[in-house]
Amino acid sequence: MLKVINGGIETLVEDWPGRLGFLGKGMAPSGAFDNVALGFANLLVGNPPGEAAFEVTGGFFEAEFGLNTAIAVTGTPKAPLLNGKEIPMWESLEVKPGDVIKFSHIGQFGFRWYLAVAGGVDVTPYLGSKSTCIFGSYGGYEGRKLADGDVVRLLKPSRSLREVIGRRVRKELIPPYPREWTLRAIPGPNTSPDYVTAAGMDYLFSHSFKIQHTSNRSAYRLEALPDSFFARPDGGVGGSHPSNIIDHAYAMRGALNICGNTPVLLIADGPTLGGYMCALSVINADLWKVGQGTPNRDFIKFQVATQAEATRARVDQKKLLTENSLT
Amino acid sequence: METNVTAIMPGLTARVVVNEGDKVSKGQEVAVINCMKTEIKVLSEHEGVVKKILVKEWDELQVGDPMVVLDV
Repeated sequence: MLKVINGGIETLVEDWPGRLGFLGKGMAPSGAFDNVALGFANLLVGNPPGEAAFEVTGGFFEAEFGLNTAIAVTGTPKAPLLNGKEIPMWESLEVKPGDVIKFSHIGQFGFRWYLAVAGGVDVTPYLGSKSTCIFGSYGGYEGRKLADGDVVRLLKPSRSLREVIGRRVRKELIPPYPREWTLRAIPGPNTSPDYVTAAGMDYLFSHSFKIQHTSNRSAYRLEALPDSFFARPDGGVGGSHPSNIIDHAYAMRGALNICGNTPVLLIADGPTLGGYMCALSVINADLWKVGQGTPNRDFIKFQVATQAEATRARVDQKKLLTENSLT
Repeated sequence: METNVTAIMPGLTARVVVNEGDKVSKGQEVAVINCMKTEIKVLSEHEGVVKKILVKEWDELQVGDPMVVLDV
């Protein structure tokens, strides 16, 4: 088990790909915000890449291990402490009963860590996933973020610890964590000329948007678009603002919702439908970058991609998240 | 000796909950940061007296930015 000493700012149990198949019931997929860091952390300790682990957002999580096991920490490059000493990241190591792991504040780059434990996290799957959906208060550990005093059960390792301890992600495969994140995206469904001006689309795919402080697991809000972005004076029967349209389903995860003048990336716990236009969809293989984008600090830039490129990138990412990427 | 209570997260200052001249104890809430549509408490790591308040509501913050000066 893992005894939580300090729940930190927001520490959640998340797996990947989350709770799929329930968009029609209004249920978001949830799931790890950065599936690449989650995948590598799990592979290091001998788990399947999508097993549930701890997603530590913003930092200050502190917990005591109650068993002998292997752990790995990936994500934002700011090493946590184990019994007061910095531990290597992107590498698996042994922990013993009584060992305490402690995260401080985030580093210069990135926003989330993933702490995986050999065997995984022992929470009951809800509708096929162990992921927490915060706004719905379901899944994960009691449907909420971890708090001081929580005791989380851990599963037994499926492989010998000796086999996995000391494994590392190949250095050249650790993703770079910049301050400006380039997200490949497919334009649509609401674009030029009907909804957006040609100049508006050029702006969307060239401007570097600051991530707003109001961004969270439901939505990443970006700085406002100019009025000249819109091709229509209003939303017609959809509403008074040109971003309004008749309610439709959102392409979760990765749709860029235009809510008034604010572009809003709908991600893990985001809404499944609504009455705002969507100007692009971020390709699946780049969604992890959104999870490492730091609110009120980092920037997002969109780059046009084709469906073929999106498919190829997804296949490449699947190949990346295998034991071949470890040494 | 002076020490700063600093921002633990990027975000906006929601409020400072102490006044200049107040005594604060270790672990006491000093300020609140607004980020991720939630409020994050900033606690004092020291016992001391509030010498100066450096931020006001809606000021932008990055990790490590000084918010309050303490005389410890």
